[in-house]
Amino acid sequence: MTLEVSGLTHRYGSKTAVEDVSFSLADGEIVGLLGPSGCGKTTIVQAIAGHLRPAAGRILLRGEDVTRQPPERRRASVVFQEPTLYPHMTVGENVAYGLEAREIERSRIDELVETHLELISLASRRDAYPAELSGGQKRRVELARALAPEPDVLLLDEPLSALDRSLREELRRAIGRIQRETGVTTLFVTHDQADAMALADRLVVMNEGAIAGVDTPRALYESPPTPFVASFLGRSNAVEATVVEPEPLVLAVGEQTLTLPEARSDRPAGASVSCHVRPADLTLAESDGTDTAPTLSGAVSHVTDRGSRYDVSVTLPTDETVVVERQAEPPPAGTTVTVRVPAAKVTRFGADTAGK
Amino acid sequence: MRAFDPRRLRTPTRFVPALLGGVLLVHFVVPFAAFLSQTGTSNVVAGLSAPPARSAIRNSLLTAPVATLFSTLFGVPLAYALARTSVRGKRLIEGVVVLPLVVPPVVGGAMLLTAVGRFTPLGRAALAAGLPLTDSLAGVILAQTFVAGPFVVVTARAGFGAVDERLERASRSLGYGPLATFWNVSLPLARGAIVAGVVLTFARAVGEFGATMMVAYNPRTIPTRIWVEFIAGGIDAIVPLALALLAITVVVVTTVQRLGHLPTVVDG
Repeated sequence: MTLEVSGLTHRYGSKTAVEDVSFSLADGEIVGLLGPSGCGKTTIVQAIAGHLRPAAGRILLRGEDVTRQPPERRRASVVFQEPTLYPHMTVGENVAYGLEAREIERSRIDELVETHLELISLASRRDAYPAELSGGQKRRVELARALAPEPDVLLLDEPLSALDRSLREELRRAIGRIQRETGVTTLFVTHDQADAMALADRLVVMNEGAIAGVDTPRALYESPPTPFVASFLGRSNAVEATVVEPEPLVLAVGEQTLTLPEARSDRPAGASVSCHVRPADLTLAESDGTDTAPTLSGAVSHVTDRGSRYDVSVTLPTDETVVVERQAEPPPAGTTVTVRVPAAKVTRFGADTAGK
Repeated sequence: MRAFDPRRLRTPTRFVPALLGGVLLVHFVVPFAAFLSQTGTSNVVAGLSAPPARSAIRNSLLTAPVATLFSTLFGVPLAYALARTSVRGKRLIEGVVVLPLVVPPVVGGAMLLTAVGRFTPLGRAALAAGLPLTDSLAGVILAQTFVAGPFVVVTARAGFGAVDERLERASRSLGYGPLATFWNVSLPLARGAIVAGVVLTFARAVGEFGATMMVAYNPRTIPTRIWVEFIAGGIDAIVPLALALLAITVVVVTTVQRLGHLPTVVDG
């Protein structure tokens, strides 16, 4: 493992920022550390970089415990959310800065600066000052400066957040390409699930200072381990239900029942479960009722035109609202409709895990 | 009487502050102009060639740069520490830094006397070692540093505070220790503010009178000599030395500012 974080815990005063977080990065891997603002992502990055001494836990870089080492003794480069290029140095001097800290010959430094400026397609701006660059160019130079000393791990702390959308996607592609070309082990921190899913080999999803799930983006999306992951990665509908019969599974949603013939539950009858299903997996049933899929009825409360599709909000008799995606012209608000719930697409969480 | 015209209200938004500020400006400029108009009546060259005037100029030129150097050498690190650390009691230290600004210089001089005067243990030991701390150039430097030192600390502190801490963190992660980071990143980026602080400190030190008079009435610096001549000969007598003091300050301030703004440095 190139990077191992084990049992990391940190508090600010009495407030716990990170609680017993463990994960690791294999050599050459790009992992997304994903979670809402304030979930402790930046605390983790600072602990890995050495800018913060954690209350408990260990950081290992290439097997060596660096928890008590200062930042300059770790080979961990950081790219921050806000640009940190040195305004009093040229682009070339900025990229050379990290190389000059090591015992490298001048001619070799020049070579490495050239290589890394070519990597970010900015070799022609070597003598420019950061103030002369555009926002996207500055970000790329920072990337080059972070990569030039060949760090063990590259830490990207929300590098795209301060950029507008088109620039963001362009830079996202650039980061992906550069990471593939250099093979640098990368931890990519973001609160944006689209950025994370587009770039990362694996995701570490954080919520309130703890890990909510670790897996490949697709696995987390398709079978979320916790309700938080289900709702944070893409859109999700949550419906509270009660187990009527564990096998074959029959659930009660208010007065209605939902039979999931293929499924069984290890929860006894009477237990509460939270059911999650994606809006794209739900359909509005035709009224003839010939199909056998489980259904729930409700009334259309609201329709949002998304351009390529409609989001139809259906309020169930339990007052819960589910969103159904639909391409065709939707029924008007107030219409009573039947929502088809494909049994295989329903993820259930027991009451005991629902809170996590 | 004409009706109130709201359109005329737009002018006062700029007119009122300009008028109020102008009052103060006049108060600055008029004495300056009035004093300079006196210069024609006295012989500046003759006044400055007198031996007491020349030794006062020499003493001022010896002491004020040293006081400025001490203030900068110890004040800039203090400013950095104040800008970056959050220790308990930091408020108290900040209070101590501005104390010499709050205390009237003449009182500050009296305080210095109680600390390093020739009848204190420190003063006696220094005197025995051949370095008297009162009525000596060393005494002048102590007085000037006491009064003028806070300027460079306060100004440099604001300069360091404006340097994004992440720039320093990036430097650490690129392989530089705290000292190298300070030298390569914090210091150059706070340079504009530090230079401004150095200039203020020098200007204050070279003109220092109150504390200097208490600690070292002799040997005379330009301000103490001006006082002596004023007692003896009135305004006309002090014109040559006052002009010399003004000239020194202007030359040093402009030179330091020019040196501090090398083309590679972005204004802080």
